[in-house]
Amino acid sequence: MSEKEATADRAYVDVRGVSFAYAAAAPVFDALSMSIPRGRLVSLLGPNGSGKTTLLRILLRLLKPSAGEVCLAGIRLEEYPVGALARRVAYVPQETPAILPFTVIETVLMGRSPHTGALGFETAADWHAAREALRLTDTEQFSERSLEELSGGERQRVIIARALAQEPELVLLDEPTAFLDIKHQHAIYRLLRRLVAGRNMTVLCVSHDLNLAATYSDEAILICRGRVAATGLPVDVLRPDVLEQAYETPVQVRLDEVTGRPFVLPRPADE
Amino acid sequence: MRRYDTVLFLLCGLSAILSAGCGETEPPEMDGGDALRILSLTPNVTEMLFAMGLGDSVVGRSTWCRYPPEALALPAVGDTLHINLQQVIALEPTMAFMITGRTGIIRGLEARGIRAVALRSDTLPEMFESIRTIGRETGREEAARRLIERIEADLEAVRRRVAGRPRPRALFAFPMTIGSARIMVAGRGTFVDALLEVAGAENAFPDRAHWPTVTPQKAIAMRPEVIIINATGDSGAPDRIEAIRQAWANWPSIPAVAAGRVHVLTEAYLTIPGPRVGLAAGRLAEAIHPEVKEGRP
Amino acid sequence: MTLHPLSARRYALTVLVWAAVWLAVSVAAVAVGSRPWVWNSWAQALDYLRDTLYGVATASVVGGALALSGLAFQALLRNPLASPYILGVSGGASLGVILSSLFVSVLLQPIFGFFGALVTVGIVYTIAQRRGRLDPYTLILTGVIVNAFYGAAIMLTMGLVSPETRGDIAYWMMGNIRRFDLQWGLAAVVGGLAVGTAVIFAFLAKGFNLVAVGEDTAGALGVRVDRLRHVTFVVASLVTGAAVALVGPIGFVGLICPHLLRVLLGPDHRRLVPACLFFGAAFLVLADLATSVLEGVVSPPPPVGVLTAMAGGPFFIYLLRTRWRKVAKVQ
Repeated sequence: MSEKEATADRAYVDVRGVSFAYAAAAPVFDALSMSIPRGRLVSLLGPNGSGKTTLLRILLRLLKPSAGEVCLAGIRLEEYPVGALARRVAYVPQETPAILPFTVIETVLMGRSPHTGALGFETAADWHAAREALRLTDTEQFSERSLEELSGGERQRVIIARALAQEPELVLLDEPTAFLDIKHQHAIYRLLRRLVAGRNMTVLCVSHDLNLAATYSDEAILICRGRVAATGLPVDVLRPDVLEQAYETPVQVRLDEVTGRPFVLPRPADE
Repeated sequence: MRRYDTVLFLLCGLSAILSAGCGETEPPEMDGGDALRILSLTPNVTEMLFAMGLGDSVVGRSTWCRYPPEALALPAVGDTLHINLQQVIALEPTMAFMITGRTGIIRGLEARGIRAVALRSDTLPEMFESIRTIGRETGREEAARRLIERIEADLEAVRRRVAGRPRPRALFAFPMTIGSARIMVAGRGTFVDALLEVAGAENAFPDRAHWPTVTPQKAIAMRPEVIIINATGDSGAPDRIEAIRQAWANWPSIPAVAAGRVHVLTEAYLTIPGPRVGLAAGRLAEAIHPEVKEGRP
Repeated sequence: MTLHPLSARRYALTVLVWAAVWLAVSVAAVAVGSRPWVWNSWAQALDYLRDTLYGVATASVVGGALALSGLAFQALLRNPLASPYILGVSGGASLGVILSSLFVSVLLQPIFGFFGALVTVGIVYTIAQRRGRLDPYTLILTGVIVNAFYGAAIMLTMGLVSPETRGDIAYWMMGNIRRFDLQWGLAAVVGGLAVGTAVIFAFLAKGFNLVAVGEDTAGALGVRVDRLRHVTFVVASLVTGAAVALVGPIGFVGLICPHLLRVLLGPDHRRLVPACLFFGAAFLVLADLATSVLEGVVSPPPPVGVLTAMAGGPFFIYLLRTRWRKVAKVQ
C-alpha cells in the first residue's frame, strides 16, 4: 500500500474544524476535529448532550456544519452525489418505530434503494444482497413476518440487516444496544466485529455503555463540550481522569486480567 | 336582526302556551270607523292588495316586494323568515297578510294585536281563494270578486288565442346558479303548470310534484318540444344566458333543442301567482306558439 | 403479500391488471348506464351515451386524482386520516367557483376554481414553511386554519345571497359529476393532471416508503426529503384543486381508496400508486353508476358524494375493527 493510500485509510472519515449549532445561543461543536481509520470498529463516547447523534447526522449529510469540512475517503462530503453517498454510508438509528406493516424482507430490501433505479425495481442482485444480509444477522427465519411483531432485539438485527443490504463501506450506528438485554448486546457487537474483520467495513458506533465499547472497539473517541477530549485505544481513552472530567462523576477503571481491556465502575464517594 | 328573532321565538313559545286552549281565531268585526293598516309580507300578496285598490291602506312590505312600482315607496320590514319586529310595531298595522306555512310568525304578530292571516298560492284555485280571503278580511269582497273576474278573463283570452293549436310538451325550468348538475322544473299541479295549460301546452314533466329537480337523463327521457328557462335578475345576465344555451346544445336528441325552441325568458312575473298571471300566460303562449302574436286571430 | 421482488416486469403487469379492472368497470358502467332498454331513436341513444360517457370519464379522472392525492397526503403528513382536502385546497377551489359564478362570469367558473386552489397552495406554503422546509405537523395545523377560514368565507357568502342561491351553493358543495353543461375540456385537463401525477408519484414511491419509516433513515438512504415534500405537496394540491373545480368537493374517495388498497396490497407505495389511480377511478365510476341507476328508484338521485360517504363509512368501520383485531392478537 502506498503512503498516500495509507494516509487516506488512516483518515477514512476526516472531520476538520467542524462547528455546528442548532440555535445561535447553544453551539454543539466548536472546531471539532477527528478522524476514523478504515476497517476499524470505533466507538464514539461522550456524556448526554455532547452531540454524538448530531455528529452522526453531520456525517450523513442530514445536517450542514456552519464551519469546517468533512471528507470521506479523501473526497469532501458536499461533492458526493446523493445516491453515491447512500451507497457508501449506512445508518442504523437508535429506534425504529414500526408504524406501517412492512415485512422484514421488505424492510431489508429498503436498504437496496440507493442501488435500485428511479422507479425502485428490484433485480436478482438486490434480492441476493438482501438474503445475504438476513443470513449475516441471523434473521432469515423472520423474512415474512411483519416488523411490528418482532421483539426489540430482533428488530434491531433487522435494521442492521437493512444497513448491510446497502453493501456500504461505512456503517454508522446510534446506540444500537440501548434497549437490548445482555445476550443481544453482545450478539450485536460480535456481529459488528465480524463485519469489520471479514468484510473490511468501517464501523462508527455511538455508545453509552463504556464497557461494551471497551470490550469490542479497536479505537475510541471521547467528545465532550464540543471538542474531542481523547482519542485512541480504549485503554488510553478510558482513564479515570479523562472520564471524570468528561462525565463529571467519580469512576474507577480496572483492567481485565485476560484481555487487558479496561472496564469502568463507579467509584464510591469518599464522603 | 338576530335579537328580534330570538324575541319572536320566545314570544311564539309563550303565545303557544297561552293560546293552547283557543280554537281558530275569528275575523274581527268590521268597524266602519277603523282605518285599515295592512302589512304585506309576500310579493304576490302586495300585488293582489294594490290590484284590489287597497294600495293606500298598505303601510309596509317585505324586502322582496317590488311590484307595483308604488310599493317601492313603502318601508321594507324583512320577510316571513326574518322580520324586523321593531319596525313592524312602529308602523302600527292592524292586519298582516303573507304566504307562509309557518305558524310561528302568525302567532308572533297576533300576540302583538295584529290580525295575521296565512294564505296559500301553490295552485291557481288556492290563489283565487287567497284573493277572496283578503276581500273578506278587509271588507272588500266586491273588489276581490272583480279582480278574480279580471284574471279569469285574461286567462280566457289567452286560451282563445291558442285554441285549436297542437299542444306541444313544454318544460318550464329554473337554471342553477352554480354549475348545472340539475334544473328545477314546474311539476304538474303547480300554478305554473296551470299557466302552461292555458298557454296551450302540456307539461313535459309527467308527475304531480312541487318544483322537482331534473337530471340530463330525465330531460332526455321526457323529450320536451319546448323548453322555457326563467332566468330572472342576475341569472338573466348575458353570460348566463349564453351558458344556458351552450348547456342545452349538448343534448340534440331533445326535440326542443333540435328545433331551436329553447327560450330564455327573463321576466320575473312568470312565477308570481298574483294578478299578473294573465300576462304570464300570454308571455308563455308567445314563446310556445310564436306564430300567434298579440292581437292576431 | 408477495414473496417476489418487484421487478420491472411485475410492475408492468400490476399496472396492466389494474388498468384492465378500471376498463372493465368503465365499459360495464357505460353499457348499463346508457340504458339501452329505453332507447327510442339513435339520436336519443347518442344523448344517453354522451351523458354516461361523460359521467364515466369524469368519474374516472376525478376518482384517480383524489385517490392519488389522498395517498400522497397520507404519506406526506404521516397521518392515516389525511384526505385530499386536509390542507384546504378544496375550500379554495370551491370559493373560487362560487365567487366566480356569482360575481364574475359563470363561464369562467373552472378557471377561477383552479386559481383558488393555486392561491391556497401559496397561502399554505407561506404559513407552514420554516426556513424553506415543510414539516408534517405544521402543515396539518395550517390546513386546519385554512379550512376554517374557507368554511367561514363560504358561509358568509351564503348569508349574503338569496335563499335560492344559498341552496345552489349547498348543493354544489356536495359534489356532482353529471351535469347539463358538459365540461369535456376541463375533464381532459384533470385527466392529464391525474396521469401526470401518477407518473410523478411512481418516481417518488420509493421515497414515500422510506419517509414513512423515518425522516433520518430516508435521508441516509439517499432520499431528498425536503424536495420530496415540496413536490408532493404541490402536485397533490394542484390535482385536487383541478378535480374540485370540475365536480365540487366529493368526499371519502381520497380517504378510503388508499386504505382499501393497503389492505389488499400492503404498505408498499410502489404498488399503491398505480393501483390508486385505477382503483380510485373505478371506485368513483361505480358510485356514479349507482346514482344514475338509483334515479329509477329515487328521483332525483342523491349526489355522488352522499353515496361515497354512505358506502365508504361503514366499510371503513369494518376495516378499522378487523385491523385492530389483528394488531391486538399479536400483542
